[in-house]
Amino acid sequence: MISNNRHPSSFRDPSGFIFVDQGIVKRSISPLYFKPYKALKSSSFFKKLQNAGLLILHEELFASSEEIIIQPEQISFMNYPYEWSFNQYKEAALLTLKIQKFALENGFSLKDASAFNVTFYKGKMVFIDTLSFDFYKENSPWRAYKQFISHFFGPLLLAKYNGLESLKLMNSFIDGVPIKMVSSMLPLKTKLNPFLYSNIHLLAKFEEKHNEDYKGVSKESTLSKKAQLNIIKGLYDFIKKMSLKTSSEWGNYYEKTNYANDAFDQKATIIDGWIKQLEAKTVIDVGGNDGTFVRKIKHELHEALVCDIDYNAVDANHNYVKTHKETYMLPFVFDVLNPSANIGFNNKERDSFLKRIKAYAPDVTMALAVIHHTTLSGNIPFEMSAEFFSTFSKHLIIEFPKRNDSWVQRLLNTKGEFKTHFDFYNIDNFESSYSKYFSLVEKVAIDNSERVMYIYKSL
Amino acid sequence: MTHFLYFDPGLGAMIIQAIVAAVAGVLLFSKNLLYKIKLFLGISKPNDDVFDDIDVKDSDIESKSTSDKQQ
Repeated sequence: MISNNRHPSSFRDPSGFIFVDQGIVKRSISPLYFKPYKALKSSSFFKKLQNAGLLILHEELFASSEEIIIQPEQISFMNYPYEWSFNQYKEAALLTLKIQKFALENGFSLKDASAFNVTFYKGKMVFIDTLSFDFYKENSPWRAYKQFISHFFGPLLLAKYNGLESLKLMNSFIDGVPIKMVSSMLPLKTKLNPFLYSNIHLLAKFEEKHNEDYKGVSKESTLSKKAQLNIIKGLYDFIKKMSLKTSSEWGNYYEKTNYANDAFDQKATIIDGWIKQLEAKTVIDVGGNDGTFVRKIKHELHEALVCDIDYNAVDANHNYVKTHKETYMLPFVFDVLNPSANIGFNNKERDSFLKRIKAYAPDVTMALAVIHHTTLSGNIPFEMSAEFFSTFSKHLIIEFPKRNDSWVQRLLNTKGEFKTHFDFYNIDNFESSYSKYFSLVEKVAIDNSERVMYIYKSL
Repeated sequence: MTHFLYFDPGLGAMIIQAIVAAVAGVLLFSKNLLYKIKLFLGISKPNDDVFDDIDVKDSDIESKSTSDKQQ
């Protein structure tokens, strides 16, 4: 049994590759990697990391002298670094460092530190690249140090000092944000901090300096294990303490809405009833803020993807997941107007949001208090948003704020003299456009508000 | 030692690690000292962080039910 169907994202590391066999993701290990693999297995290193919940579980399916095949626990919805909030990113960075420290203590070392080796699954960040480990060679520096800086530390610093949207840079720099660029973008005060100076600015200078004297063979440099542990611990402590100034704005959203409490509860009851009726197991809440509405669903869900454009809302959701040890909630950052695209070599390394969500096919899509933003801020016609929502799940629960709603009025007023171009924004046009892609199951107006709830079934 | 050069670790990044480690070492030492002083004076702040320490706890490694393994 020699596997083929190599997954298009799996070519960087010659130790093995991922392939898909009848819809199941498996990993083929090449004889090149047999020695480390067997050592990792026999020393119970894998088991220890898996028991601690740090590494994805796997089982060995097949072993011959030419190939070993393992099957990892299947990740339901892969999410990428450019879809994480600040604290999710932090969690992934800390996980990588924690694993490296543990590896060093057990005679191994991470040979790469890509942010794409980590994904958020069942309420926490988990390491998914089982073949990333190699033997630790006494007194050798960490080969993945530079990669850690450009994949994790650099983006985190940019997010802190230059704005959270910097985390999206990983979408363009699939191999990590160039250190020279990070150095040039960070404010001057970061040069006064010896830790940041050495890890970023001096590193950028060293890289620049040694860029030229490449002789084909990399010069051996040495570093004691204790010194390497200092780097790892230093980075861990620094990243763990990193915080945002904006964190105090968390969770204020629902205090700012124009809902009366009764209307809020009524909306929650309606949604809960529909979800129960459908016996939904999986949902995606588009524009789900900090997950408040999904948590009001009493019907037990297997998994809930809750995405929002607002980094702080996603962070608030993540914080709730961590403090309450929830495992079904998957928060991520998402812009309806620009979902993640297919990127990387051959445009196949990282899948677009649409490709992933179509494969996931959630039982229900929820779009609450979203349509007026996509239509009036994003200028997306009703028909186009209907088409979008109809592509990935069978049922859509959507809330329509009528023209007289205060939020809608506010958005319309920002249009100034072009306000009349948006005269189409009314409930009749909404219903007729959505009826092209969906059949109406039920609609309920929320009392004492200008909002109507719909449940649709795609045609 | 299997050494796969499938990405460039960066020569500068390899050399600089001695300096980075020295800086980190000094910082860790002084922070540790400061922490011990604070602890002695009883002014250390409680840890309300959602993230754990860097160390993998022995209890996590050893005792674990098999219920959530291999799915």
